[in-house]
Amino acid sequence: MYQRIPEPMNSLKVSDIYKNFGTETQPIEVLRGVSFEMVQGESLAITGPSGSGKSTLLHLIGTLERPSSGQIEINGADPFGLPEPQLARFRNRGIGFVFQDHHLLPQYSVWENVLIPTMAFNNRDGDAENRARELLERVGLVHRLNHRPGELSGGERQRVAVARALINQPSLTLCDEPTGNLDRSTADEVSSLLFELHQAEQNILIVVTHSLELASRFERRFELEAGRCAEV
Amino acid sequence: MRRSLSYFWRIQLAVLLSAAVATAVLTGALLVGDSVRGSLRDLTLDRLGRIDYALISERFFREELATDLSHKLENEAQFHRETVPAILLNGTAVNAKTKARASRVQIQGIDKRFADLWEGASGQDAPSLEKQPGQLFPSVHINQSLQNELSIKVGEQLLLSFERHSDIHREFLLGHRDSSEVLQTLRLTVAQILPDRGISSFGLRPNQSRPLNAYVPLSVLQKALGSEAKVNAIFASAASPNSADLTTADALPALQNRLNQALKLEDLGLILRHVSPDSIGGVGYLSLESTQFLLKPDIIEAARAVAIERRTLSLPILTYLANTIAANERTIPYSTITGLDTQRAFSLELIDGSAVPPLADDEILLNEWAAIDLGAEVGDEINVSYYIVGPREKLLTRGAQFRLKGVVAIKGLAADRGLTPKFPGIHEADDMSEWNAPFPIDLNRIRPKDEVYWDLFRATPKAFVSDRTAQQLWRSRFGDLTAIQIRTVLGADLQTTQTNFQRRLLDKIRPEQVGLVFQPVKADGLAAATGSTDFSSLFIGFSLFLILSAALLVGLLFRLGIEQRASEIGVLLATGYPISTVRRRFIKEGGLIAGIGGLIGLGGGVVYAWLLMAGLRTWWLAAVETPFLSLHIHPLSLVLGYLIALVVVLFSIGWTVRQLGKVPIPTLIAGGSGASRLSNQSSVVHTRTQILAFASLGLALSLTIFAVASETTVSVGLFFGSGVLLLIAGLAFFAIWLRSGGRASNPPRPPVTVQMGIKNSGRHPGRSMLCAALVGCACFVIVAVGANRHVERKQGEVLQKTSGTGRFALVAESDIPLHHDLNSREGQFELGFSESDSDATANTEIFSFRLLPGEDASCLNLYRPQKPRILGASTDFIERGGFQFQGTIVAQESPWELLEDELEPGVIPAIGDYNSAQWILHLGLGDELSIQDESGEELRLRLVGVLQRSIFQSELLISEANFKKHFPSQSGYAYFLIQTPSIADSAAFSESTEQIGHTLERALDDYGLDVTSTTERLASYRAVENTYLSTFQTLGGLGLLLGTLGLGIVLLRNVIERSGELATLRAFGFRRATLSLMLLWENGFLLLVGILIGTVSALIAVTPHLTTPGIQVPWVSLMMTLVSVFLVGVAASAIAVYFALRRPLLSGLKHDA
Repeated sequence: MYQRIPEPMNSLKVSDIYKNFGTETQPIEVLRGVSFEMVQGESLAITGPSGSGKSTLLHLIGTLERPSSGQIEINGADPFGLPEPQLARFRNRGIGFVFQDHHLLPQYSVWENVLIPTMAFNNRDGDAENRARELLERVGLVHRLNHRPGELSGGERQRVAVARALINQPSLTLCDEPTGNLDRSTADEVSSLLFELHQAEQNILIVVTHSLELASRFERRFELEAGRCAEV
Repeated sequence: MRRSLSYFWRIQLAVLLSAAVATAVLTGALLVGDSVRGSLRDLTLDRLGRIDYALISERFFREELATDLSHKLENEAQFHRETVPAILLNGTAVNAKTKARASRVQIQGIDKRFADLWEGASGQDAPSLEKQPGQLFPSVHINQSLQNELSIKVGEQLLLSFERHSDIHREFLLGHRDSSEVLQTLRLTVAQILPDRGISSFGLRPNQSRPLNAYVPLSVLQKALGSEAKVNAIFASAASPNSADLTTADALPALQNRLNQALKLEDLGLILRHVSPDSIGGVGYLSLESTQFLLKPDIIEAARAVAIERRTLSLPILTYLANTIAANERTIPYSTITGLDTQRAFSLELIDGSAVPPLADDEILLNEWAAIDLGAEVGDEINVSYYIVGPREKLLTRGAQFRLKGVVAIKGLAADRGLTPKFPGIHEADDMSEWNAPFPIDLNRIRPKDEVYWDLFRATPKAFVSDRTAQQLWRSRFGDLTAIQIRTVLGADLQTTQTNFQRRLLDKIRPEQVGLVFQPVKADGLAAATGSTDFSSLFIGFSLFLILSAALLVGLLFRLGIEQRASEIGVLLATGYPISTVRRRFIKEGGLIAGIGGLIGLGGGVVYAWLLMAGLRTWWLAAVETPFLSLHIHPLSLVLGYLIALVVVLFSIGWTVRQLGKVPIPTLIAGGSGASRLSNQSSVVHTRTQILAFASLGLALSLTIFAVASETTVSVGLFFGSGVLLLIAGLAFFAIWLRSGGRASNPPRPPVTVQMGIKNSGRHPGRSMLCAALVGCACFVIVAVGANRHVERKQGEVLQKTSGTGRFALVAESDIPLHHDLNSREGQFELGFSESDSDATANTEIFSFRLLPGEDASCLNLYRPQKPRILGASTDFIERGGFQFQGTIVAQESPWELLEDELEPGVIPAIGDYNSAQWILHLGLGDELSIQDESGEELRLRLVGVLQRSIFQSELLISEANFKKHFPSQSGYAYFLIQTPSIADSAAFSESTEQIGHTLERALDDYGLDVTSTTERLASYRAVENTYLSTFQTLGGLGLLLGTLGLGIVLLRNVIERSGELATLRAFGFRRATLSLMLLWENGFLLLVGILIGTVSALIAVTPHLTTPGIQVPWVSLMMTLVSVFLVGVAASAIAVYFALRRPLLSGLKHDA
């Protein structure tokens, strides 16, 4: 049955989200009634101690996981109502990810890695290639176009990951500890790049981080503790 | 260690099972060898009972010799006292009612003593051959195999045809060759059908197929042969009941020595005739003569030596038949002439009482009767005509001219009727007109006065010539003299002289010289049971892929286990553990697992061997031709299999553990995909790979160019070498591509799953290479072996003179040798052809070969032949040529002529089939096979040429001249190649050929002629080869299956390691199906590359075979096999992908919950 794919998102509404994980002994409740809303152009940092559910929340927003209860509305619609293939297409078009481990594909060059998301639905074309080049120029790696991830430094790899996240011009960019594996100066460099691109793209940016310094640079900041969320 | 084993039990269990498989396959292969050898040994012991030694002679000797020998053995502790006489013949059996016929039947004339040799041996009662009351014909017992051929029941009548015994060589002037004289048929009543075991499986020749046996009472067979109280075989046993010991051969000289002591001249076919003075009116003497009419050179030499030793005078005599003695236009028909040294002749005098003068070469003496009859006087010209045996045993009339030197009185020596040896059919005739002569005789020429002479003097010679003249005119390959006369020793009487001379002569003659020699048949049989083919090695070869796959799987799984524990290793190293300690720990773990797995594998090995034996008894029966194979387990094989497998597995584990030291500790600690660097290649390796790739390619191209310009025989090896090098080059180039592929600036183009799959194959070059190499090697073998499978060929092959059939459509063998020319109407008439039979075989050319019976030297015989069948090829055949030579010792335009080369003394040239020489006889060009000739002397057959896939796979060929020289007592032709008229239409040709075959079989059924099409004969050899190839393919396929399992594991591990990447792709919108397809393409690509490299290389390797005219390659089955390989590989990958993608991928993205 045909279901409408939501248009690129203008807003994000997270309502009373709960997330449980089953273990052998007893279920663990990772998120307990998290709710918030965001609109286009906003940026949000989510902080909290290890195990507080930051990454889980990010994955739920990124539609990588389904909430145990509660609702996530994207542009007024629930993406989890979509069948798997359409959900994948939605994620491909609308969401960009940056992980702590860059997860670049080692067998591909820098340029190819950036283009990877365009290949999921065969929408790679001349425009996409130009955009990849342009993004790499913006992250300062156009001279490393044909290098492989193994030949880059940690900061460079993460910059490639940022470029990859933005290749499909997503409305929502989700970053999971994007500077967690980097030294301080490199981390500053990458975070500046993130803000710079966020400004340019005017999308919604959500970053999960332990770094309060980084978090302080965001418009909004949520603190997660024991699965509950509070705006700081 | 226990904790490690229990914590990582899944992967450890997988390693253990893989080690068990490797051990099972290796041990199983060794047990197959044990089983084949053991089964052949069982068959040997079963068919020989208590027989350890057998004396089988071409000539018949006294039955009492066995008893005499028994007496002589009384004091020999190593022998059983009883020796058993018997008659062994070959012949044809016919069901009297249905006319169903079986050739190659072993006819045994036996009594209870023979049956006792199996008493209690196989739980059988000794068969009783007593005639039952009211039974019309004597009893015959047949075995189940013969019953199966004839479909005859107990109580029904059976006709046995065999060759009538003749002391005189059939090809000699006085030899009988007519069918009525050659053939003997006996009508018998089937009294019992014996199961195919024990006595009923008796056979001296090592062959796994059950013989067709008929047992007839000894006395009945003796009577039928006209050889009362005579036999041609004696069997002896070792004293120890456990006579399977090979050392029985060591006791042979003692047995042979006792035989010497028991022999009498009669057993050697010799007669020492006592000629008393009274009988001839002169001086008495002894005359040494032969029942074969002529004395052989060995005997003559021995007799002369004894005469010299005894200081007696000896006189060589050669008496021959003259068709005509003519003088003064008068003739005397059919007379004998004696050649002797007249100066040494005793009591030979002229009619005037004067001594006989010495004779020049052209001088002759006539006896008084002949001189009168011819009106001849001294100085008259005397013409003598006589027959000689010419080429192809045809009788030719020759003449000689003499001058009459004198006329001798018919008294003394000249009156000795014994100067002409007794000859059956003539000497007992009352009248000359009643002669039953084997040569053409014109009875009209016999006059009344000749009959009078016959009545008075019988065959007393009518003329005498010098011994030199007689030798020049009449000596032949059958012997030089008809007698040696011995005078009494001075002062001794004739009786004493006879006794002493006889004893000394027996001492001088070695029984081997007259073919009386015991053979250690059991020791030989057991030695032959070790087999011409080492089935252990063969099945290890067949199972090699399976063993390698299992070993690879062990290494792979162990490696995965180590990668799984990379962090643990990293931590251990970081905390100060020396790398050697860590390695030892893992090797110990691996060793323990492999050890336990090996023990489990031993049980699996027994099951695997049992399954293979079941396969050999059923699906692969064509390879062994006997269902009597059973599982034999030798502890040594179990130990050996276990140890070898353990070493292989430990090597595999050790190699993996060795890589540990090459990985940086931080990488190990990082674990996960970082540990995959275990397989990363260094730049040195990369450079070496490049060198290997280009060098292999260059060498392969050079070999190909060289091969194209070479002869067929050389090019086969060159092309194969080229194919192997191409395989190596292909895989090396692929390895280089895997390392450098993806560096290209062009990103993947749609379809994305294909492009990404191919790209991803370079993720782990080492693992990808392992997959591609495994598949590539397997496909190389599958295609190379599959392309070599032989399929039935068409008429084209039969009609080619240089093919394996030599353009002969039919091959035939007879139980009883033929002595007439099958190509002539006269010859056919003599053999009993009707007019219509002769018409039906007109335009058919038949080449006859002499046949020395022996062991089948082809792949159809599992036993190792020690005395192969030998064919004597006629000059006509050698001149005709034909067949394809694989190689010759020296280049020659007509390679068959090499058979006529003169080599050093004791060596003669031989030609054989390449396959039989190489694989069964283990002989190369120029190698020699040592056999014994008829006089017991060593004869070395030097292989001067080898034929390519010919119909001569069961025998070796020598020239007929050499055959006659070294095996003179073998007479006639028993092997035939038949060239039928060419007909363009294939169906008509087959029909015509079949018709000719039927006609020949029908016309010569009494001789047991068995006609087979040459293509069928070749097909039977090919069936063995094809079955071996099938076995290889089946086991290779199993190996590939196991290898595929390894591929699945590799893929699964790849996916697990890359869960982070895959999760990222999922995060970016890649669907699960897209990822599955991508992973499938990744593995499919490796499979395709492996198949492509392996197939192309294999096709290059077998190019000479593919380009052979008329060859039919089973392309369809090959394609299906390759497609199956691909599909099985993809299916294994699909299963791996399914399980891998079922895992929650997101865990790869998370660092905390």
